[in-house]
Amino acid sequence: MKTKLYLFLVTILTVSIIFLTFISNDNKTPVKIGVVMIGDGRHEKLTGLKKGMQELGYHEGDVKYVVKSAHDDEEVLDTKINELIKGKPALIVTLGGIETLKIKEKMEQQHIKIPVVFAGVAAPKEIGIIKDYRLPGGLFTGINNYHTNLSGKRLELFHDLVPSIQRFHILYDENIEVSKLSLENTKQAAEKLSLKILPCNVSDPSFKSKLKGSLQKNDALLILPGFRMESLTKEMAQFSRDNKVPAMGIYEQEAGVLASYGASFFDQGYQAARFVSLIIQGNSPAEIPVELPDRFRFIVNQDVKNELGIELNKNLIHIPDFIISEEGEVSP
Amino acid sequence: MFNKIIQRLHAQPIRIKVLVFGLIMSTLPLLLISSYYYYHVKMDLKERILDKQELMLDNLSGEIELEFNQMFQRVQMFAALTEQDKEKGVFYELLQQNESIEEAVITNEKGYVEQRVSRYRLNIPDENEQWFSEEMWSAFQLKERIYGKVEFNQFGQPVMKLAIPYMENGKRKAVGATIQLQKIIGKISSLRQDHFSYLYLLDRNGKVIAHQDNSKLHQNKLVDDNRDVLGVRTEIKDLGWTMVMEQSKSTAYAPINEMVRNGLMVVAIVTLIVSIISIYAGFYFTAPIVLLDKGMKNLKAGCQAAPIKLNRDDEFGKLSQSFNEMSEKLQEKTQRLKQEKEQLNVIVNGIGAGLALVTKDYKVTWMNPVLENWFNNEEVELPCYTLIGGTSQPCENCPITCPGLTGSADMIMRMKNKQNVERLFRHRVFPLNHAIEGEGEYLVMIEDITEQKEMEEKIIQTDKLSALGLMASGFAHEVNNPLATINVYAEDLIDRLEQNDKDLDEVEMAYYLSKIKENTERCKRITGNLLNFSRKSNWTLSQINIKETIQSSIGLVEHLLKKKGIIFLASIEEELPILIGDSLKLMQVLVNLINNAIDAVENEGKINISAKKDKDSVMFSVSDNGCGIPKKALPRLFDPFYTTKPVGKGTGLGLSVCYGIVEEFGGSIHVESNEGSGTTVQVSIPAEKRVREEKPYNLSEKES
Repeated sequence: MKTKLYLFLVTILTVSIIFLTFISNDNKTPVKIGVVMIGDGRHEKLTGLKKGMQELGYHEGDVKYVVKSAHDDEEVLDTKINELIKGKPALIVTLGGIETLKIKEKMEQQHIKIPVVFAGVAAPKEIGIIKDYRLPGGLFTGINNYHTNLSGKRLELFHDLVPSIQRFHILYDENIEVSKLSLENTKQAAEKLSLKILPCNVSDPSFKSKLKGSLQKNDALLILPGFRMESLTKEMAQFSRDNKVPAMGIYEQEAGVLASYGASFFDQGYQAARFVSLIIQGNSPAEIPVELPDRFRFIVNQDVKNELGIELNKNLIHIPDFIISEEGEVSP
Repeated sequence: MFNKIIQRLHAQPIRIKVLVFGLIMSTLPLLLISSYYYYHVKMDLKERILDKQELMLDNLSGEIELEFNQMFQRVQMFAALTEQDKEKGVFYELLQQNESIEEAVITNEKGYVEQRVSRYRLNIPDENEQWFSEEMWSAFQLKERIYGKVEFNQFGQPVMKLAIPYMENGKRKAVGATIQLQKIIGKISSLRQDHFSYLYLLDRNGKVIAHQDNSKLHQNKLVDDNRDVLGVRTEIKDLGWTMVMEQSKSTAYAPINEMVRNGLMVVAIVTLIVSIISIYAGFYFTAPIVLLDKGMKNLKAGCQAAPIKLNRDDEFGKLSQSFNEMSEKLQEKTQRLKQEKEQLNVIVNGIGAGLALVTKDYKVTWMNPVLENWFNNEEVELPCYTLIGGTSQPCENCPITCPGLTGSADMIMRMKNKQNVERLFRHRVFPLNHAIEGEGEYLVMIEDITEQKEMEEKIIQTDKLSALGLMASGFAHEVNNPLATINVYAEDLIDRLEQNDKDLDEVEMAYYLSKIKENTERCKRITGNLLNFSRKSNWTLSQINIKETIQSSIGLVEHLLKKKGIIFLASIEEELPILIGDSLKLMQVLVNLINNAIDAVENEGKINISAKKDKDSVMFSVSDNGCGIPKKALPRLFDPFYTTKPVGKGTGLGLSVCYGIVEEFGGSIHVESNEGSGTTVQVSIPAEKRVREEKPYNLSEKES
């Protein structure tokens, strides 16, 4: 009887130990990261994100990206966001302001709580995504690309680069909050700098003809942030060259404008990887401070400069990176 | 404790011991080896983790130091420029060269911003814009290079100010740079670490300025030596920052713990397998022992043990086979023992003799019912010499008193029974070689030989009378001759007296009378012999005159010898040892032997009788040259009523009585015979030895 009891106990012990060992050896599944973008124009952010994650030590198998692109269609964006949420990712990376606002709305509607990292949003506090830069306090954190506040600085920099400019046509989108805020910031700067600015709402279908009509010598175009602006960039660049008007945008990708000053999509995506890593490591997005871009790039398109025949400020001639071709190659 | 375990283990059955042995032999070395490797691998892992942490910290801190040094050098170079050289382009160049510099300023001697180039803000300074904090301004007055505290700008970004003084027109101005730390801190915070290790950065006040766990940010004194972590720390000298990398021991040693878990799993599996094998082995080895034990218990309990069937040829198989054989033999012997015991009980109880077991202290431990019946209950507690012998002292010739004494202390004694009738008993004591001490080392045997003795006496007497009957005509003839002679002398004397024969003088008269007297005496002697021989007597002890006894014996058979013309030769040594005993009984033996010899020889035969010393005995020999005894009759010669003589010539008691008498003398009788050539009978009687001691006074003493 004693022997049977002993055998029973030893068997139970062995089975328990084997069971526990297998449980403890449970394979780690990759972290599912949802990525949503309004259009493929922001794909460079995804590339930067992946690169950043890789450099932080997340390799293939550690994370899995579920990417949803709305192909610049706001209606499609809703569907894509729904699909993404249904897939229950560990966290979501939004590649712009519109995506972030949409996803916030959806999650609030559906009472879903998934941490969200926004990889570059202009004025996230002002548009209600976060409560505070240091303590965002919700499910959202990420990069404030500062493009709203930077609008005034870009005006100053544009003027320093081409001191001959006397009037700045400010292209903004009346329907986009970020764009409007940027305009306000620009106006304040212009006042401080005693520069003359002429706002131009791109949501007005006839804005181009109006703009063309008002152009004078030593005028320039300053493009403010807004996802619609991004899609118009190439068109505006062509407009600038056609009318021999220097233009300044935000991104170096905006091939065709004379200069740009802002955080690149790649850099924003790359920087967002830090937030993703922090959240994967167990940090709450509410406690992760929103960051400004690590790096702003000041780019001058050499071809456009030559085409426009514009004289640049010699003091600043060594500061920007010059793009020598439309393919976006950058010379240091 | 250990002893208790050992004692407890000793008390366990063999199968448990085999199990414990198997477990110890299998798991103990495994555990010892595992422990050894666990310890060394753990130490090695710890060393590797610390090395790795140290390497990483060195790299990171090196990067930070390098970046700050470069920044400092460029700011210093900027400060060294003349007033004219400090144009906006140079400012921008400073920012372009250092991505971490958020803004660069020149302050006046009061610390107000004179010029600024910023990445985010407009370059136009505010009116009387103070760039320094109070603390930094105070420190700036004393040092050539000053780093400010880690602060947060309006967007919550960690920044730190760096200022280097320079003199211009006798005024102590400063070149300042606001350094954006978020990239450094962000990198430290978000760098993925394996096995849950984490990095954090402390400023010079011990405040956490970067941590992979954001909840720990801005806390003080995070480093606590008591925490159960493995970690290294390194100091960034110029900044006074400390970078720490840690990993909790539980996660650091997770691979080893996993190894231990796997090891435990192996140990558990091994334990299970070994347990099963050990239990099987235990049963395999102990099953035969259990069966044997059961069989032994059955045997011990007296039950019939069934044969143990083991289909094995090993030691156990042989042992079980031996056990079966032993069991069979034991049962057979037990049965035989029972039989013998039963027989012995019947014998002991039915033998008619009294048996008792006596210790060497003369204590009677057991008596058979016969003996018990002879004594009263209160007497059985007495020592044997008092109970049986009626003496107050142990008997001298008893083997209990004298262990070296040979023989069985055989003696005849008289004793009155419960009915107060005097009886004759034979008493013998036998030492027991295999007796258990205290349970009776001696067996005392007491036989009531009263009837036997009486019968023997009757037979002897019968034999005597038979011999006398056979010798009666001879006696008559023997007496007749002297009587005839007396008669002749008497008649002649009477005639001569009547005739007044003058020749009958006194001399002749005396001659006649002497002849008459002589023959009368002869008759008297013959009748005297006859009477003496025929007398019924008890065994009397006296010194025997061997010569006289032989002559008396011859005298009884003289007529027969003469009648058959037998040559009779007697040879008696002069120096014979003394014999003690009953001379009449010896004479009866001799007469019987001579009579047998006379019957065996024809006329003119030859009979020799001799008596000589033979060691400590006297050897009597009666030989004849008669017809001899057939060989087949020799074994039965001493049987009562067996005779080879013709009817009317013998009773068959002669030799049987001789044998009994010689036995009583303690001697021996031996017959050698060749059919047709004669017979020799030798009787050896020990000299000077009291063969039997009659104690007629025992009874009287006891009674008195």
